Amino acid sequence: MSRGLGKDVLLSVGIDIGTSTTQVIFSHLTIQDMSSGFSVPRFEIVDKQIVYKSGIHTTPLLSPTRIDMAAVRGIVAGEYAKAGVDRTTIGTGAVVITGETARKENANEVVHYLSDFAGDFVVAAAGPELESLIAGRGAGADTYAKEHSTTVANYDVGGGTSNLAMFDRGRLVAATCLDIGGRLIRVDGGQITYVAPKIQELADSEGIRVRAGDRADIPTLKRVCQAMTRMLEMSLGLTPKSAFFPRIRTEQDKDIVLPGVPAFISFSGGVADHIYGSPDDSDPFRYGDIGVLLGQAIRESAALKLITRITPNETIRATVVGAGTHIAEISGSTIEYDESLLPLKNVPILKLNPADEASPTAMRQAIREKLEWFRLDGELQLVAIAFQGPRSPSFKQVGQLAQSIMEGAAELLAEGFPLVVISENDLAKVLGQAIRAALPGQRGFVCIDAVGVDSGDYVDIGTPTAKGRVLPVVVKTLLFR
Amino acid sequence: MYQENDVRDMVRAALSELLAAQGGSAPVAAPVSAGATLAATTVEEGFCPDVTAVSTKDEFHVPDPENREGYLAMKQSTVGRIGVWRAGPRYNTWSMLHFRADHATAQDAVFGEVPEEFPAQQGFIAGQTLCTSKDEFLTRPDLGRKLNDETKRLFAEKLPKGAKVTIMVADGLSSAAMVNIPDIVPAIKQGLKGFGIDVGPIPYVKYGRVGAMDDLGPLVGSDVVCLLIGERPGLATGESMSAYMAYQPSADRPESWRTVVSNIYSGGTPPAEAGAHVATIIKKILDAKVSGVDLSL
Amino acid sequence: MKLKTNLLGKTYAFRDVKDVLAKANELKSGDQLAGIAAETAQERIAAKVVLANMLVSDVRNNPVVPYEQDEVTRIIQDDVNERIYEEIKNWTMAELREYILDNSRTAAEIRRLSRGLTSEVVAGVCKLMSNLDLMLGAKTAVVTAHCNTTIGAPGTFATRLQPNHPTDDPDGILASVMEGFAYGSGDAVLGLNPVDDSLGSVQRILQMFDDFRNKWEIPTQTCVLAHVTTQMEAVQKGSPADLIFQSIAGSELGNEAFGLTAQMLQDAKDLMATKGTCTGPNVMYFETGQGSELSSDAHHGADQVTMEARCYGFAKRYEPFLVNTVVGFIGPEYLYDSKQVTRAGLEDHFMGKLTGISMGCDACYTNHIKADQNDIENLATLLVAAGCNYVMGIPHGDDIMLMYQCTGYHEAESLRQLFGKTAIPEFDEWMKKMGLITEDRKLTKRFGDASIFLK
Repeated sequence: MSRGLGKDVLLSVGIDIGTSTTQVIFSHLTIQDMSSGFSVPRFEIVDKQIVYKSGIHTTPLLSPTRIDMAAVRGIVAGEYAKAGVDRTTIGTGAVVITGETARKENANEVVHYLSDFAGDFVVAAAGPELESLIAGRGAGADTYAKEHSTTVANYDVGGGTSNLAMFDRGRLVAATCLDIGGRLIRVDGGQITYVAPKIQELADSEGIRVRAGDRADIPTLKRVCQAMTRMLEMSLGLTPKSAFFPRIRTEQDKDIVLPGVPAFISFSGGVADHIYGSPDDSDPFRYGDIGVLLGQAIRESAALKLITRITPNETIRATVVGAGTHIAEISGSTIEYDESLLPLKNVPILKLNPADEASPTAMRQAIREKLEWFRLDGELQLVAIAFQGPRSPSFKQVGQLAQSIMEGAAELLAEGFPLVVISENDLAKVLGQAIRAALPGQRGFVCIDAVGVDSGDYVDIGTPTAKGRVLPVVVKTLLFR
Repeated sequence: MYQENDVRDMVRAALSELLAAQGGSAPVAAPVSAGATLAATTVEEGFCPDVTAVSTKDEFHVPDPENREGYLAMKQSTVGRIGVWRAGPRYNTWSMLHFRADHATAQDAVFGEVPEEFPAQQGFIAGQTLCTSKDEFLTRPDLGRKLNDETKRLFAEKLPKGAKVTIMVADGLSSAAMVNIPDIVPAIKQGLKGFGIDVGPIPYVKYGRVGAMDDLGPLVGSDVVCLLIGERPGLATGESMSAYMAYQPSADRPESWRTVVSNIYSGGTPPAEAGAHVATIIKKILDAKVSGVDLSL
Repeated sequence: MKLKTNLLGKTYAFRDVKDVLAKANELKSGDQLAGIAAETAQERIAAKVVLANMLVSDVRNNPVVPYEQDEVTRIIQDDVNERIYEEIKNWTMAELREYILDNSRTAAEIRRLSRGLTSEVVAGVCKLMSNLDLMLGAKTAVVTAHCNTTIGAPGTFATRLQPNHPTDDPDGILASVMEGFAYGSGDAVLGLNPVDDSLGSVQRILQMFDDFRNKWEIPTQTCVLAHVTTQMEAVQKGSPADLIFQSIAGSELGNEAFGLTAQMLQDAKDLMATKGTCTGPNVMYFETGQGSELSSDAHHGADQVTMEARCYGFAKRYEPFLVNTVVGFIGPEYLYDSKQVTRAGLEDHFMGKLTGISMGCDACYTNHIKADQNDIENLATLLVAAGCNYVMGIPHGDDIMLMYQCTGYHEAESLRQLFGKTAIPEFDEWMKKMGLITEDRKLTKRFGDASIFLK
């Protein structure tokens, strides 16, 4: 016996514009029908192979507050050319803008511009917790936790931020981000040229004097790095949190409490190589910053040594690998859609709750009411109507579902928007056919399943793959609401 | 399913009842007397727990595992009966009864008969193969592939000739699979209607095997015959149904000429969703004028 | 040779040896389906009488498929040791039966006898045996084989750990693997029936098995039961395999239905000698089952017991480490109920052992046959009493991929306890090292706790 409908390969791109570095990777996501061939197809992503890794470029800045968009574009275009990749062949992927770079004035503009430039269906994703998840997966911490049935924390220590993600047997259980990074103090010609304000505050609170313009005194900078390392220790629950700790969290209103001390820890990000011991630590300022010293401080931390250290699959590339290989999902394999509507980007989710799904009337009413939430300046916008759906619906239930959705979304339809429907349970094809039978005129729609979304999420739906059986999907979730 | 605590509580309850019956003292060896005194039994309201209520993925009996969380997570990756524990080297009572209940479900599906009134209730035209009993059906697959003469006459008279698509229903190896019919049939019809194809009256064949569609094919002359038939059940999957489709089927065609969609039931592919999928496959067969291994899906 | 007899005032005449062999069979629905079974119970006994009077040479000289037509016949006939055959060719089949059952018979004598028998002779003597005869005969015919460990030694009893999963999900397979080893199952082989038998899939699973075995230092064998050519390709590409598996039939035509030739098996065996991960010398694993030839119309009008015996004669050439009949899988049109399944299991085990191969049995049933778990526990118990080398082990006896039921992980230790046997010695030591059993083979609280492998 062999698999039903065979395989397809989706080319995925990952682009990471970080505080210090900009990187690009291409990977092949293998999508395979996991059914026996004698049942309804069931495609899954079965393999992820990185086929190209770019060099590590310095993130180009026009000024301390502006990214040099043209130069970033040049880097990305250059890597596409070197890899021999035509942007029209990109099936999925993500551009992430991370660390301090995410806070530049034109960050949003850059990331959206790039997501269009990089391919028809490449999403822009950001947010500190999502970055933590992406880096943790890129480092392989989730896989290690799953394979060894244990808990693993990955700390991605970069130039501007340190992203923590903790996995329990493969599942993300906690994530946070601290403003700790190797490039937050810069050094040139034996002199400190820049100290990030928060690091300055941290040093002050510890009674350490460090200012731009000071001589780069190694013992002093080591003490600063030790103070920074103590913040990491606190975030992991190894030591009690100081009064200053909340200040160092990137999102100051979000406290971090791990469900327990993880059994294992891995470090990724640009600083990681110096945590694991780099062959060349002789010049502590070789990058013109305190990255090497911070790495050493983390390596030597007695508290951090309490957690067994494991080597990640990726260090400096963890985030870009995570973005390129671990963001895309695929829809269920029996779905209905009009290809002309695809790809769809940044569609907000209108999620129905179990009470809304309790009866056809409740459903119709709930869609009508919740649609109003998406009215901006009196104008409706495209939304995706999402619900769990019954586990094995009767044919009659499906008909009612189609009716409720169309009546509930009547206003949306009247204003000419296409219908986008997402269910968790397997019913999209029969529901889609029921909608097609009842939809006025040749109005387009997309009806997919096997995708879990929530209120507040945005979804991107790509162009069909695997002979039109499945659609690539990226759910942009705000974690831990 | 019983957890350890439930069992402990039950034991305690039973013990305290015993103590109460004996006037609150601990049980002591009663002097041997002529004839035992049997306590009166009270029949209580309520039900014993349903051993099939917990899915095999969630049924867990290991009392003190080294890594409980890990074990439970591991169980989610398979419907195989693991984490079932033991009594000595033998099976735990509850998992054993669950297994036997699931086998009973499968056996009842195979050896049970579809109610006589079912075809009429569904508006089907009822016929039969050359098999005259369940036993003959099970041991003579050759006879289950041929319609009997009376059925052939009936179908020739009642079914339209040369319809584009004929849907056919047979009991096959699971009478219980007929539960899917009210959801899958209208879903197929709805899907086909979307392609502008109408479906006529549906023939039902008692004691039918898959090959019976090859006997029906030439009789009705349809371009596509789609047979909905009960599958040989697995444990606890007594309701599973398959849809076999073939372009202009006949006895001359090899088995590889059939396209099949199996595992249709509420715990597999839901029947309504499967019907929508089947409709699109039928359309592909009609367009390609081939079926089975030659059909590129 | 006589083909006629009188029985209870009636005369019975048979067409030829093939007809006698078919009608002498115990009642099987498959022989009825083929239209070759005895019409009455009396005719069955008459056939047995005629068979008992035949000489070994009569049966050898009338193979049920002609030598010229069939490579299986040629392999069976060409592998006969003519010197030994000369000694026994003039025995009646009744004498052969009594030689085997003689109380002074040793395992070595039966092994020597084996080399003078063709499969038709093996099948013939089987038809003269009652169930208990089959058990006693098989018990004398000890056959051991060595891959990484030695299977079949008296006092031991092994199981195959069969961790099948409906989608080959690696986590799901591994969950079953852990559960099985925690129950002391898997000393015969860790072997998966894959859903996806493509090369990539086979390679992935072989690697996963090898990694797990090495991590926990388990003294056993590993195998993925895809087609022989796929496994060979995997081994050639460097995948770790201890055994190469193939389903085989008792005629060339039957093997064709499996996409198989004798040359392929020879090539596989040669490949394993140079590229296998095992110690050897026994590197092959075969599965068979009564009725499979009839189901592919490759039975040449012969009965299913004789065709089954021919599988073993064919298998013997490749000196397999494991051969098992999958005895209740095929359905009630071949083996009607538990009585027929039980008989077939005992026949197959006996015939395998008499042929000289390391014989095990997948004692199983599908859901459309009149049998249940009690019947299969009975058969497994009879088989262990008869010295069967191994049976299957699956979670709670429920195979969620092949959709049938057979012996569960729990049966391994239950049957060892019942008969005072151990696992294969190295594996038994491993069970002690893992703390699954104590030095005196009592189960510990770790026995049955798969989470001990979650590390």
